Amino acid sequence: MANNGLGLMGALKTRMQWHQARQKLLAENVSNADTPKFKPHDLRAPSPAGGGTTLLQTSPMHLGLSGQQGGFDPRDPKRFETTPSANSVNLEDEMMKVAQNQSDYQLAASLYSKSLGLMKIAIGKGR
Amino acid sequence: MDLLKSLAVAASGLKGQAGRMRVIAENLANADSSPERAGVDPYRRKIVSFQGKLDRELDAQVVELGRVNRDRSDFKTKYDPGHPAADANGQVKMPNVNSLIETMDMREAQRSYEANLNVISSTRRMIQRTIDILRA
Repeated sequence: MANNGLGLMGALKTRMQWHQARQKLLAENVSNADTPKFKPHDLRAPSPAGGGTTLLQTSPMHLGLSGQQGGFDPRDPKRFETTPSANSVNLEDEMMKVAQNQSDYQLAASLYSKSLGLMKIAIGKGR
Repeated sequence: MDLLKSLAVAASGLKGQAGRMRVIAENLANADSSPERAGVDPYRRKIVSFQGKLDRELDAQVVELGRVNRDRSDFKTKYDPGHPAADANGQVKMPNVNSLIETMDMREAQRSYEANLNVISSTRRMIQRTIDILRA
């Protein structure tokens, strides 16, 4: 499957879904920029499939694997701005993330389009 | 599609900030409203609060305006013995609205509104890029 280009398109599709989910989370952070006690969230970057060594939980009686927090980024960066109402959203920071997320999504979408173009060439409908 | 949910979340932020602007405008408009007669309290400044709410349909945390509370601080007084609302000392109670604070609050609401608009523009560009794939 990986050799016929579909694996690449599947990976790009997953990447685009990840960016969509992240955009929703960032939108939540920005819209709650004035909500008391609100803490911003971010998504953990997807790890490449099959890359690196991962721990395996061999029995449900064992302690859970560390770092598994439902896909949220477990790193807790130091917030340098927390309002007296305990809101730690930093609008500039969030806008940077939104811009970066958008450009990364556009990159993935462009690659997806190019892959589709290659597929068309391969099946004889090339431009 | 998550991008449409992002739009809805950002729109809730716009709505919240617009409500905040409405209350600020109300405070500013009433900054000089004096009472009609002595012994009556003048306009009391309103304070808006936001609260996060989990929208089950969107599966996202949207924001909405909470209760609008009144500022409990003391009223200002103005010496105007000829005013119908003046007390025995010639003092008239005036609203506890500080134009400077309201202006700062207004700027803050404006920045948050712009940030939400920015998220909407960014999300719309992402949706447009997705549609462009169909043309490829």
